[in-house]
Amino acid sequence: MKFDNIIIGGGLSGLTCGIKLAEQGKKCAIVSSGQSAIHFFSGSFDLLGKVNGEEVANPLESMKTLSETHPYKRVGLDKIERLTNDALHLLVRAGLNFTGQADRNHFTLTPMGIMKPTWLTLSDFTCFDHKDSFPWKKAVILNFSGFLDFHTLFIKDGLKKFDVHAQIKNVSMKQFEAIRRNPSEMRSTNIAKEFDKENAIDEFAKKANVLSDGFDVVILPAVFGLFNKTIADKLKEKIEKPVLLLPAIPPSVPGIRTQITLRERFQELGGTYLLGDNVEGGVFENGRLLEIRTINHGDIKFEADQFILASGSFYSKGIVATHDKLYEPIFGLDIDGDSNREKWFDEKIFNDQAFMHYGVKTDQNFRALMNGEPVENLYVAGSVLGGANPLKEGSGAGISLLTSLHAAEQILK
Amino acid sequence: MNKNRSKEYDVIIIGGGATGAGTARDCAMRGLSVLLVERHDFATGATGRNHGLLHSGARYAVTDHESAAECIEENMILRKIANHCIEENNGLFLTLPEDDIAFQSQFVDACTSAGISTEIIDPKLALRMEPSANPNLIGAVKVPDGSVDPFRLTMSNALDAKLHGADILTQHEVIDILKDQDRVNGVELFDHAKKEKVKYYGKIVCNAAGIWGHNIAKFAGVNINMFPAKGSLLIFGHRVNKMVLNRCRKPANADILVPGDTICLIGTTSERIPIEEIDNMYVSKDDVDVLIREGVKLSPSLATTRILRAYAGVRPLVAADNDPSGRSISRGIVLLDHKERDGLEGFITITGGKLMTYRLMAEEATDLICKKLDFDKKCETANIPLPGSEKSDETLNNVSQKVYSGSGITQKSAKDRHGSLAHKIAKGDENEDSMVCECEGVSIGEVKYAINELHVNNLIDLRRRTRVGMGTCQGELCACRAAGLLCESMEEPGKAKDDLANFLQERWKGMSPIAWGETINEIQFTSWIYEGIYGLKPENN
Ligand SMILES: Cc1cc2nc3c(=O)[nH]c(=O)nc-3n(C[C@H](O)[C@H](O)[C@H](O)COP(=O)(O)OP(=O)(O)OC[C@H]3O[C@@H](n4cnc5c(N)ncnc54)[C@H](O)[C@@H]3O)c2cc1C
Ligand SMILES: Cc1cc2nc3c(=O)[nH]c(=O)nc-3n(C[C@H](O)[C@H](O)[C@H](O)COP(=O)(O)OP(=O)(O)OC[C@H]3O[C@@H](n4cnc5c(N)ncnc54)[C@H](O)[C@@H]3O)c2cc1C
Repeated sequence: MKFDNIIIGGGLSGLTCGIKLAEQGKKCAIVSSGQSAIHFFSGSFDLLGKVNGEEVANPLESMKTLSETHPYKRVGLDKIERLTNDALHLLVRAGLNFTGQADRNHFTLTPMGIMKPTWLTLSDFTCFDHKDSFPWKKAVILNFSGFLDFHTLFIKDGLKKFDVHAQIKNVSMKQFEAIRRNPSEMRSTNIAKEFDKENAIDEFAKKANVLSDGFDVVILPAVFGLFNKTIADKLKEKIEKPVLLLPAIPPSVPGIRTQITLRERFQELGGTYLLGDNVEGGVFENGRLLEIRTINHGDIKFEADQFILASGSFYSKGIVATHDKLYEPIFGLDIDGDSNREKWFDEKIFNDQAFMHYGVKTDQNFRALMNGEPVENLYVAGSVLGGANPLKEGSGAGISLLTSLHAAEQILK
Repeated sequence: MNKNRSKEYDVIIIGGGATGAGTARDCAMRGLSVLLVERHDFATGATGRNHGLLHSGARYAVTDHESAAECIEENMILRKIANHCIEENNGLFLTLPEDDIAFQSQFVDACTSAGISTEIIDPKLALRMEPSANPNLIGAVKVPDGSVDPFRLTMSNALDAKLHGADILTQHEVIDILKDQDRVNGVELFDHAKKEKVKYYGKIVCNAAGIWGHNIAKFAGVNINMFPAKGSLLIFGHRVNKMVLNRCRKPANADILVPGDTICLIGTTSERIPIEEIDNMYVSKDDVDVLIREGVKLSPSLATTRILRAYAGVRPLVAADNDPSGRSISRGIVLLDHKERDGLEGFITITGGKLMTYRLMAEEATDLICKKLDFDKKCETANIPLPGSEKSDETLNNVSQKVYSGSGITQKSAKDRHGSLAHKIAKGDENEDSMVCECEGVSIGEVKYAINELHVNNLIDLRRRTRVGMGTCQGELCACRAAGLLCESMEEPGKAKDDLANFLQERWKGMSPIAWGETINEIQFTSWIYEGIYGLKPENN
């Protein structure tokens, strides 16, 4: 099979890259082995939340202080602002409703009741302008009886510091009786499936309206709208008070919906999406990648002019660690990281861990290095890149979106 | 704030390991008034940091006849009184090509003379009995080894002590021994929960603080010559072997592979450490490498089995009083009457020994306590089963099924963990059945039972009681669910967040020495969930 471009990995990076290329008329394929990070996503895409432990107000401004090896610096700060706009527009064209600005972080409330700076927030969730005030005084936190994955007490405790009076109430829904009978079924995706049927929403909204009498805001777990893309909006219309959704224990319902929406956009643009297939290796000639091999397609070769590696970090197996080495498992690309495992970790889990910075080495054009030499037509994008700790600095989605768009532009040049 | 408790106990026992809990049980069963104090939680010392090998004694047969004989006797007793803490899986002593097969006959003779039954097994048959064993083995001997769950064993002893009237304080650290001239009459404690000091009085104070007994003795102004020997172990995420596997040679590094529940353990290394380091139980890269290298020789499939955690414990070894260099270390039981030894009345120390011999140690200590109190009552701990192990006219199955109608998995897991006590797990509404931890089958009901009845103060305690977060997911999501439940029982939800952060740090300590493969992937994922999405950070709480 022959494509213009083949992308390895169908997470946020792979899909962004694929959509951008397909929008420009390229014939693309994405091969993806499994779940991606967006399945667990909080509802917000981060650009730059912290530098050296200090909270960032203007990410574009603070990027200037990052090290030269940081992916943003390697993309080039002159391009970043434009790419942030492109990224937002790409998401909007896909049908996703995000708000936020690259030159000013807003805040979202975490399920521990902490305000976190971020860049783009999905319309399901609520953006706050300030980290030390909460616009409402009396909050009712609603949970479903038997649902263990929403931490009402932690939220209540977190709201205390905003002087919010919060009360926790439970709602029973007959729709959940069947799933409650099985001890491991009462999870967010199963609840969301029930709510995808609209009559459950009507009933729930009625109950919520009664229970929220006397309160200014209704706090709920984000379990609305798995396949049904309009349910979260409907819910907000039907509940008379403002609604604040907060993440439950993953998987994330809005995250899965986002992943599906992006995949559908890619497919509508004519892209080929091969899910559940694993790229195992490729054939190189004269510093070029000619074709790749996948598990499901055995002898059928996948050829392309350019390839993009967007296979994620350790948790997606884009990079693999054994007791004595680190490696990139598909092609054996060069890794930016220490092979001595004693160097990988800090003894305190909440400290900056060295391994979080590890990734595939590239040249300045984001082409993968193999034995020190760039592979001419193999670009690297997203969290498989090293050079930053996206968790500590709050730059996960930003790095994925911007490096993917950058890689796509190199190909389109 | 300082507090004094006016009640005077017959005996105050320091240390919530197997020895202390066992002694509390024995004393309480004989009718003494007992206070058991533990600085952290039950089984947080050597008791919770060992192999969990129910020794047949075979390991010591050649080098230490007395220990071997003690082990086999206690082994047979524990099978009777603690069957819900024990797996009777037997053991094989393997001779590998690099070992001297001549040792085998010496080994078998020594076992026989210690009263340990042995059976020489043809290598081919041995491989059929234990397919995970090294296929190159040239000899095998079967012995009555087994596995013991030290957490459950300690808890059952503590529970039974309580049932017999003992008072128990966890999170209470002895910070001084109270004396009236040359007589010990109590302890001063620091209550870690309330952050206050409190004094308790007793006629006898029994030091059962394992290696920390060194410090306790110092508080009393006497010296015990202790030589801490650190041992590291690895836990594998899958039960590779059915039987305990040993090397048939003189005891050495990493030559025991013990199966237990759904996992198996390889250990141990042995390293003398300075007494100042007994609270600093890190596992080095070299320790890990030795354990894997030697472990793979016993069972080659370990090379490809996921390692869940690494941990280390300290053996409480005591040198003879006339041997300050520690060259002639005893591995046997050490019972010191400080009246006889140091002229200090009202204070005894019970240490040394093994997990295996905890009951015998408790018996000897209690005999001495009774003698000192001039109280004549026979020991019954060898005959009366521990709570959870009692035989009734109904089988265990019936009992727990009748009163506990939980779903299949949670019910079976709970029964495995709590024995006949599983019926105490409330059969409330269907909510109680909901699963908190899927890989270990822990239900809400079980978590609540542990919180209400088993002295659980935090998530780490809860893990020790129920195995929440012990399985292959290593506490990723179940910890968060359990934290929610624990939070309900705490006055301060803010504390529950700290507790969750501590729990993750504690797990990290066990995982970081072996964090590669799936483990590093999960660590990264867990950090994203807790720190990234939840915003959990010690300084945020
Ligand atoms: C649990 C979690 C939550 C996060 N939440 C947020 C958040 O809320 N906000 C934020 O800004 N950032 C978040 N991040 C950071 C996240 O890493 C980035 O935002 C971004 O989603 C990463 O996208 P990616 O496409 O580079 O990698 P991934 O999402 O990891 O996708 C990589 C994909 O490649 C596939 N793959 C790997 N190897 C192969 C192969 N050999 N063949 C075929 N396919 C392969 C994988 O199956 C996977 O689908 C989170 C990360 C994690 C782990
Ligand atoms: C690596 C290793 C492997 C082993 N393998 C086995 C085996 O397979 N089988 C076997 O039978 N034995 C084994 N042992 C030996 C066995 O673990 C110990 O002998 C036994 O657990 C000791 O129990 P204990 O109750 O005396 O001491 P500990 O379990 O150490 O208990 C002492 C308690 O005192 C508490 N404490 C300390 N200071 C204070 C204070 N100031 N105030 C209040 N409380 C305090 C501690 O927190 C601790 O809980 C092994 C030991 C090690 C280190």
